[in-house]
Amino acid sequence: MTDTTTFPEVGTRVRGARVLLSDVVLDAHGPADPTGHARAESLTAHLDRVGPRPTGTPALVEVLDRAGLSGHGGAHVPAASKWRRVLAGDGHLTVVANGAESEPVAAKDGTLLRQRPHLVIDGLLLTAEALGARRAVIWLHGDDRGARKALRAALAERPWSPSAPAVEIVDGPVHYLAGEASAITQAVAGGPALPTVRRRPEPGAPRTLVHNVETLARLALLARGYPPSGTRLLTVLGDGRAVVEVDASTTFTELLVDLGWAEAPQAVLLGGYGGLWAPWTRLAGLPVDEGVLRGEGLSLGAGVVAPLGAWACGVKQTAGLVAYLASMSARQCGPCVFGLPALAESTLALADGRRGAGVDRLLDDAAAVEGRGACHHPDGATRLIASATSTFADDIAAHAAGRPCRGTAEVWPGVSR
Amino acid sequence: MSRVVAGSRLRVDPVACEGVGLCAQVADRVVELDRWGYPVLAADLVDGADVRAARRAVRACPRRALWVEEPDASS
Repeated sequence: MTDTTTFPEVGTRVRGARVLLSDVVLDAHGPADPTGHARAESLTAHLDRVGPRPTGTPALVEVLDRAGLSGHGGAHVPAASKWRRVLAGDGHLTVVANGAESEPVAAKDGTLLRQRPHLVIDGLLLTAEALGARRAVIWLHGDDRGARKALRAALAERPWSPSAPAVEIVDGPVHYLAGEASAITQAVAGGPALPTVRRRPEPGAPRTLVHNVETLARLALLARGYPPSGTRLLTVLGDGRAVVEVDASTTFTELLVDLGWAEAPQAVLLGGYGGLWAPWTRLAGLPVDEGVLRGEGLSLGAGVVAPLGAWACGVKQTAGLVAYLASMSARQCGPCVFGLPALAESTLALADGRRGAGVDRLLDDAAAVEGRGACHHPDGATRLIASATSTFADDIAAHAAGRPCRGTAEVWPGVSR
Repeated sequence: MSRVVAGSRLRVDPVACEGVGLCAQVADRVVELDRWGYPVLAADLVDGADVRAARRAVRACPRRALWVEEPDASS
């Protein structure tokens, strides 16, 4: 029962110039260690390729604004607006390069750290200098040995810079929410790595700016005067994972055909397990362009593309994903602690075609948790469910009528059943 | 004393909240409890009675999980 893909074509076709990384193939789950060898760029090679790093100044915020750089961790918040919020405060500032990508499929940040550690460090130091930060931290999952090794080697190669703080590598826990910005903010200040709610900030309170590592790599190129790049870094799930850099004008059909898909999927999960389903009929001709996708009510989030085979059951697949998200709650907020298991249970009841299960109950459960956590973790689950009810509408109607399909769920990383 | 600032909201820190439920006892016009006993808050405080109720809820919370937020001071 496997018609998934082994990525024969990785790296063989080029759609637009690659500016950040070379395509790699990885195991289906775990840290972003490539199955083949992919070398980290040395300091010499880095400087030969992109030239010396300029000094960061507050004027850089205008460059970010003009380039329209937005966060590549998933939320796509404009980088310039984060900078302006920081510039409005006056407390002790820590800047963080967030390399703890937590979506089980996502591996583009880990790949970037392994291939271009100097570019990410440049972005972090530019930001630290520009905003007058006293600490510069690279935040990783504790099990990401490959990224840590590449970063340590890169830091050891670099001469001391008097204008920027020394870079600290901090190992976070191996948990889905360890990459959440408020959890990182609390952790780098010495607290637990758990999401928090920011109440009214007091004047002089310590400030923390968290940028995704890809955002910082792009920032390091913009600061050198490079034009905004039109590429996207994507992690595509098949029989294993492929991390690719493609031009944003590439359509989903082109992306999957280039990666060796022989058969069209029925739907694609975009962004990750806390992302959105989209039916293939709607997605096939769309480009992997965040602006275009936003216009369609979709988003690439953290750049995860997970196609679902034509034979699989989308309802069962969704039940597995919601159960995964429920298991990854930080267990702090009541609506998430109680609401996500309830949501997982009603999705499973629907998948099994149990009596009394239905879309109304599912959407009721979803409404009960939407927007009620300290972080957006429960919202990821409710959005996923809402997208499933529209993407798999016919299938769901059959399940709700007690006629579940014969299809099974595909085996995806971290998802049981 | 119950000045109403347009767009004022009662807010909850869901990490601090343990679902004790006193808020809904003293301020049922702006707080409901969900099926698990955690507060669901009114979208906006629209009149003096709402604001008074919200302040009662803030004072009643043994976890200090509630606060009234006025729009200009937040992000």
